Amino acid sequence: MKKLLALVLVLALALPLAGLAADYDIAMITDIGTIDDKSFNQGTWEGVVEYAKANDKTYIYYQPTAQSTEIYLDMIEQAVNDGAKIIVTPGFLFEQPIFEAQDLYPNVHFVLIDGNPNDGDWSKEGGPEFRTEANAVGIVYAEEQAGFLAGYAAVKDGYTKLGFMGGMAVPAVIRFGYGFAQGIEYAAEEMGLKDLALNYHYTGGFAATPEAQALAASWYADGVEVIFACGGAVGDSVMAAAEAAGAKVIGVDVDQSSQSETVITSAAKGLAASVIAVLDAYYQGEFPAGQALVMDAAADGVELPMATSRFKTFSQADYDAIFAKLVAGEVKLLKDSDVKSVAEIPLKLVAVTEIQ
Amino acid sequence: MDIIYFIVQQMMFFSIPLLIVALGGMFSERSGVVNIALEGIMVAGAFFSIYFINQVQDRMSGQGLLLLAIAIAAVSGLLFSFLHAYAAITLKSDQTISGTALNMIAPAAAIYLARTTLPNGVQQIQFINTFRIEKVPVLGDIPVLGPLLFQNSYITTYLGLLILAVSAFVLYKTRFGLRLRACGEHPQAADSVGINVYKMRYAGVLISGALAGLGGLVYVIPTSTNFNATVSGYGFLALAVLIFGQWKPLRIFIAAFFFGLMKTIASSYSGIPFLQDLGIPSDIYKMIPFIATMVVLAFTSRRSQAPKASGVPYDKGAR
Repeated sequence: MKKLLALVLVLALALPLAGLAADYDIAMITDIGTIDDKSFNQGTWEGVVEYAKANDKTYIYYQPTAQSTEIYLDMIEQAVNDGAKIIVTPGFLFEQPIFEAQDLYPNVHFVLIDGNPNDGDWSKEGGPEFRTEANAVGIVYAEEQAGFLAGYAAVKDGYTKLGFMGGMAVPAVIRFGYGFAQGIEYAAEEMGLKDLALNYHYTGGFAATPEAQALAASWYADGVEVIFACGGAVGDSVMAAAEAAGAKVIGVDVDQSSQSETVITSAAKGLAASVIAVLDAYYQGEFPAGQALVMDAAADGVELPMATSRFKTFSQADYDAIFAKLVAGEVKLLKDSDVKSVAEIPLKLVAVTEIQ
Repeated sequence: MDIIYFIVQQMMFFSIPLLIVALGGMFSERSGVVNIALEGIMVAGAFFSIYFINQVQDRMSGQGLLLLAIAIAAVSGLLFSFLHAYAAITLKSDQTISGTALNMIAPAAAIYLARTTLPNGVQQIQFINTFRIEKVPVLGDIPVLGPLLFQNSYITTYLGLLILAVSAFVLYKTRFGLRLRACGEHPQAADSVGINVYKMRYAGVLISGALAGLGGLVYVIPTSTNFNATVSGYGFLALAVLIFGQWKPLRIFIAAFFFGLMKTIASSYSGIPFLQDLGIPSDIYKMIPFIATMVVLAFTSRRSQAPKASGVPYDKGAR
């Protein structure tokens, strides 16, 4: 009797699992964070869903239990076993897993967002080995341009004391921050302003914490008018502080205006659009094999969502003018590969206070 | 002066949840049950109360809604801690293990429930903060004290202080408190004079559950715009406060405010000119509460005030 019961239980457990192993065409594996992080995982997922629904493809996402190359590779293996033909992975932490996976699964295609596949060994002379096979593509965004637009627009809109709160100091976050600082400088020069101030800090995580809230509140109390909250859920804490202080926030990655009345604009990346473009190219047989794509202003990879922005004076025409300059390459911006810290960016009109 | 007001106001957001949850832990440990599940219970309390706010906030707002949410947080924490009580008291299981089980199930269940019941399957539960009190009428105008305690605050601050007073009174001045403490020190002796040890321990754990659940809500409200199935280790921090406070209400109060002050300084010193001029790295401030806890432990370990029977399942037949 007991054995029979055990058998029934085992079958009951096994059956739904077997049912799950159906075929999925498109798989996405999330980075730290979830598909509804109001940030880049969500932006990517929206692209996957939109394309799959429009083109009648099946899709699924996987959430790794923790962050490590081994676990990410396990997730990729599971996706391949579930029949995925193309796997989308947002986050530069996937650089190393994809570097290995592109050789392990030559028949599967990989779309790496926010990075390019490499062996992850930064201690080597000349940096790690970068290699993208024909079944993979790396997409990076010109975050410095998105940050630039946000900083420029904020100063143009009358803000003179600003803050930047990044999450973990990963390349994308750093590029946002550098661009933000340079956007402030650019606008100040254009308007003949000087003595602008920028507080600059990386919280070291992507979570909403009382620490992040207290830091933001202290900046607001010290006179900071707007903080660029650049680190996933860190933004929730900054918004909480802004609501209490009656101050403003700039969102990141996707349009965050619906999250709080305090969000004046968002330094957005065209995540969904580029995911859709690559998926479409793949199914048309035009996969950008082995390429390292840079989605910048010219490729519509960055934007401020003007329709939902809450600017006082900064207009669509102002935005179009500065955006056109970025597209034309008239504005040269320093990136994470050019300088080691924000202090090394030559800024004359903005005093940057970097908080460790 | 404004800076001091700011620090005190910010400190409340750290200290009050720590105070409430640590007092909860005190009731449990004083009855003889180690409650390592505080973290999980905080998550459960925050989840159900924020969920409630999320559902009714189109129709309600302000202090009335917050009071209802407080009641829900306490009740859900109490019910959730019942699992721990049943395992640890009735089943006499290892209290650390059942507590850890609660810590693990709470965030997972919160994510699962949010994703399956909320529209578009998100795990973050959004809420609109309509609970902040700009200035308490009359009291907020008192010089010095007004800005310190009665501006930019939440009713939960005063509730926390009230809980402190009531806890101290209950523990030391009532028959219930005496019996509770007896069960944590020497349950066999308590039993021999006719006290039902199991009932007292259930009471201790359930009170701690109610307070920890409430603490979860108090933690989330001022510091975010949504609840994302985590309280960032504040339940464990409350355990440190409990130990630092040597299981005594007043000392717990001091410990919670000390921890809160250090946390506030560590995270906000960059906006405070005179602290920034000192040039002490924020890591130092971050370390201080924990170093202080260890120092206190080192000095008091010989005559530690920990309840003697804490962590030991009560067995009537044992001698």
